[in-house]
Amino acid sequence: MGNKSVVSIIVLVLIGILLKTTFFEINEGRQAIITQFGKPIGEPITDAGLHFKLPLVQKVQFVDKRILSWDGYPNQIPTKDKKYIKVDTTARWRVTDALKFIQTVRNETGAKARLDALLDSATRDVISNQNLVEAVRNSNGILDMIEERKKEIKELKANGEPVIEDEITGEIEKILEGREKLSNLIAESASKELSKFGIKLIDVQLRRISYEESVETKVYERMISERQRVAQKIRSIGQGEKAKIEGRLARDLREIKSEAYKKAEIVKGRGEAKATKIYAQALSQDPGFYEFTKTMDVYRNSLKESAKFLMSSDGDLFKYFKKSN
Amino acid sequence: MSEWDKAKNDFEKGAKFIGPIFILLFVITLGRTSFYTVQPDEEAVIIRFGRYLGTSQPGLHFKLPLGVDEVTLVKTKRVLQQEFGFRTATTSKDRRTTYDQKNYDRESLMLTGDLNVADVEWVVQYQISDPFKYLFQTSTPERNIRDVSESIMRRVVGDRLVTDVLTTGRVEIASEAQKLMQDILDNYDLGVKIVTVKLQDVNPPDFVKKSFNEVNAAKQEQEKVINQAEESYNRVIPEARGKAEKLVSEAEGFAKAQVNRAEGDADKFLAILKEYKRAPRITRKRIYLETMSVILKKVDDITIVDDAVKGVLPVFSKGGVINGK
Repeated sequence: MGNKSVVSIIVLVLIGILLKTTFFEINEGRQAIITQFGKPIGEPITDAGLHFKLPLVQKVQFVDKRILSWDGYPNQIPTKDKKYIKVDTTARWRVTDALKFIQTVRNETGAKARLDALLDSATRDVISNQNLVEAVRNSNGILDMIEERKKEIKELKANGEPVIEDEITGEIEKILEGREKLSNLIAESASKELSKFGIKLIDVQLRRISYEESVETKVYERMISERQRVAQKIRSIGQGEKAKIEGRLARDLREIKSEAYKKAEIVKGRGEAKATKIYAQALSQDPGFYEFTKTMDVYRNSLKESAKFLMSSDGDLFKYFKKSN
Repeated sequence: MSEWDKAKNDFEKGAKFIGPIFILLFVITLGRTSFYTVQPDEEAVIIRFGRYLGTSQPGLHFKLPLGVDEVTLVKTKRVLQQEFGFRTATTSKDRRTTYDQKNYDRESLMLTGDLNVADVEWVVQYQISDPFKYLFQTSTPERNIRDVSESIMRRVVGDRLVTDVLTTGRVEIASEAQKLMQDILDNYDLGVKIVTVKLQDVNPPDFVKKSFNEVNAAKQEQEKVINQAEESYNRVIPEARGKAEKLVSEAEGFAKAQVNRAEGDADKFLAILKEYKRAPRITRKRIYLETMSVILKKVDDITIVDDAVKGVLPVFSKGGVINGK
């Protein structure tokens, strides 16, 4: 343990400090700016890896290079058609000019304040200049769909099938811009300002659009009354179908019964006619004999045991009571 | 003084061991930080001095020790899931998964194209397709996935009627949302592949649920009423048809019988007539007498009256009662 070793330890430590202040790491997803006494030196370094600077006099400031998220505060905004809605937006952005960024907003917290202000006002401007549907729907596809369905129902009706029409409720108006375009409009109008801060806005998304609470209740009430109307309609369509079927039943039943009666009577009549003809042909050959034999049959078959019978002794049968010849 | 010496002595003895212990610890640390294992469902991103070096596959790998190479393990094979409108609360072996739905209304309530409100719950399943991009392209990849998913789901639902959202549109909505989400995430170059978007419970908002159920009930009722009517038609009409056929058949039978009888009777008459004509008088007599004999045998009470005997009636009664009191 002499002076030698003490000196060598001190030298080692000094070398370490020198290395540590000369070399620096830039991680993936980050970029750096070298400043000398607070003044930026050269272009921002965007390559990750090991880099060096002048020790002691130069400092490194890191800035994120990744896509960053911004989450807006849900705003209450009246639309052009005077509907109060809450609009919740998110956006993604990245630092494209680290120097500008550091000079104008210093860090992410500073950037967030600018984003808040710019995006909120852009959102407000765009949404309040449009009808509610523009922010809800993205295309007019829904109108085509309704058109198509109407056609289908018409066809079904033409074929006489029972159709359960589920009525389209609420207002379906044509839209001019649509949701996606509105978010692009918001992004566009904020982009210009943001580029001054070295920030590039990647996109704005309308995350949630909802009715304001007091409006919500009214919407719900409307939905309820509409549903009830639809339910009532469905029921009465059912009753109508039932009546139709019952009518068909009564008609078919009568038709079947009367048709059967008609057929039966015709058949019977033909039979009887034929029989009459046969009788007439045969019996007319000797009507007297027929009358006689038939009368005899009637006597034989029609008299009952209990009948009281009064006969004249003048008759053929009893004439021999009086005389034998 | 002697105590001081003693302590000094002890310290010097111990100092002999300090060197080897440090070396041993150093070697152990070196060994431990030179290798790493990547599990089968993972990939590893290697960063050297902050710079991306490469991605390694499952297995045992060598790296530069002592924090020169940093390794981040990313579960690339695993399908990850984000839930919207609910959260899976517990999953254990013997209990079925329970879902917590209470406080996520704001996430799941959305406006439909006809400005109604639907409560849509869904899951997004995704895989990390590029671990490096996933780690370094955006600052909050999961949040980006969530934000985009919410925004897209609302856009897709916003282009449809509430009735379609609740009933037939589910599959279409899911696949459209998946495609649009993937497009946007690809735009961020996030390194994520959406495996599937699935709609879970899709309901009307609680407040109006009852009236939607009423519509369903009305549909059921409608079907029931129609079915009952059809049923009674199907019960009555075939029976009536059968009865009608029976009536006609009976009529045919009747007619046939009439004709047959007529033919029989006619034949019989003609046959008898033929023989009668040979001896009309005697045949007539015979038939008469035969008939009479049958009648007289059958009938209990016969009175024979003689014109010649006036006032005294009757003369003779077959019943054995003799007149004349």
